[in-house]
Amino acid sequence: MTDIWTQAALWMGLALIATLLAIWLRVATALSEIVIGTVAQLIIGAALGSTLLAADASWLKFLAGAGAILLTFLAGAELDPVVFRRQWKQAMLIGLVSFAAPFLGCAAIARWVLEWTPEASWLAGIAMSTTSVAVVYAVMLEFGLNTTDYGKVVLAACFITDLATVVGLGLIFAPFTFKTLIFLGVVVVAFLVLPWLTPRFFRRFGNRPSELEAKYLMLCLFGLGALATWAESEAVLPAYLIGMVLAGTVGKDHALIRRLRTLTFGLLTPFYFIRAGSLVSLPALAAAPAAFLILLAAKITTKIAGVYPVTRALRSPRQEGMYTTLLMSTGLTFGTISALFGLSHEIVTPAQYSALVAAVVGSAVVPTLIANAFFLPRHLLNKTPESDARHAPAVQPEAAARRNP
Amino acid sequence: MTKSILLGYDGSDSANDALEFAVHLARAFGAELHVLAVARPPEFGDDVETSAVIENSRRHYDRLLRGARAKLAQEPFKTHFQVVVGHPAEQIVRYAEGNGIDHIVVGHRGHTLFERWLIGSVARQVIAYAHCAVTVVRQPS
Repeated sequence: MTDIWTQAALWMGLALIATLLAIWLRVATALSEIVIGTVAQLIIGAALGSTLLAADASWLKFLAGAGAILLTFLAGAELDPVVFRRQWKQAMLIGLVSFAAPFLGCAAIARWVLEWTPEASWLAGIAMSTTSVAVVYAVMLEFGLNTTDYGKVVLAACFITDLATVVGLGLIFAPFTFKTLIFLGVVVVAFLVLPWLTPRFFRRFGNRPSELEAKYLMLCLFGLGALATWAESEAVLPAYLIGMVLAGTVGKDHALIRRLRTLTFGLLTPFYFIRAGSLVSLPALAAAPAAFLILLAAKITTKIAGVYPVTRALRSPRQEGMYTTLLMSTGLTFGTISALFGLSHEIVTPAQYSALVAAVVGSAVVPTLIANAFFLPRHLLNKTPESDARHAPAVQPEAAARRNP
Repeated sequence: MTKSILLGYDGSDSANDALEFAVHLARAFGAELHVLAVARPPEFGDDVETSAVIENSRRHYDRLLRGARAKLAQEPFKTHFQVVVGHPAEQIVRYAEGNGIDHIVVGHRGHTLFERWLIGSVARQVIAYAHCAVTVVRQPS
């Protein structure tokens, strides 16, 4: 056990450094964990041997995998089902365009420009197609658009984009056999039963220090995850879908979501993101940086080509539409999940994996830098009359404003 | 004539100094005082974590503004309190434009080199883009 505790301490030390770095630089902890993982593997690997980090130890793989599953579940649980039901047609259209443009564009570039195998090219398309819903949500809050029809449609569309990504990841690479049918059958039954059963079960037995809710949810996630991998699919597929179907019940329980976040961010995701970073080969990246740069440029270009015209069609002002579009290019979680799936299933080589993860990290940084450099803070000022009208309610002081005695 | 003052407030020492200055100003002019706190998402964000940061930050600023509200309860002028999400400078300037503010008061505090490179100082950006008078309250050294 001494080896395991030593490795666990080393990984938690790296996680702590990554968190401090994230606080200092004001960036997502996931981003700094990936970078720390890459640098640590390079330095520790060179100085003390590549086995010290032991990124392939089974206990570490379990923690990392559980982190990806819970994180995906939490991402799905952020859906607003009421808005989604009301706006699903428009959201479906925008979400699928936002998925299809980078998916097909990046897959084509990987196949015919980078000359990757067909399977590796499809995986590149999947990894590059994602959008971070939470980042777009932050932009909508910033514009005060989260309560408008436009904002709600865009947010619902981001869920469709990510859903298309996880469905693509879960089904494109899975051989269609009777196992797939059983998996899909059980998933359908679970989706019908869980929204009915879960709130009743929690009301009857929940809200105790024994954290029954967390155990119940992890049973569902790990159980369906096991079934997914048995069918040679991917465990994050049912996790995201369970998150979406429980968004109206579990997702509304803020105290429970906070406790799940503590478990996920405090223990599990550091192992996931640091491991994802540690598998990146900097020498391979440095030897052939073109793949990373081409994929990054392809992702940003195809996202803009797919999403920007839609924002304009929805009568978003030009600068605001471009700002939203640029920030829709971020997608660390599902990007790294897709890339790691490709590496672990030998769909991509370590060098291709390195290029994919670097492009995913780059897509979280570069569009934001461009958006901040060219649109901040001017994108909120010098507004057109159209955007003025929509912005007005967002800057009204709260109703509690009062005349003091 | 100053009728509406906006204070950018983050609960720091310099913001508390700025609060005191803004209160003096509001008393002197009989102006209404708007207190604005800005919850900032990470510069480069990701799923789930960004929502968690915003939620946490909003709770933090709601608590801070409750404290400021209690502090100003006995003042004779009208007060408004608001928490918004985004980059502090742009949200302050935007709020000022949208609410007919004619004087902005902000504190001034040190930023890391990285933050200065990335977004510039909040005070400097407010000065650059505000449509009205801006006072930057420096902490006594």
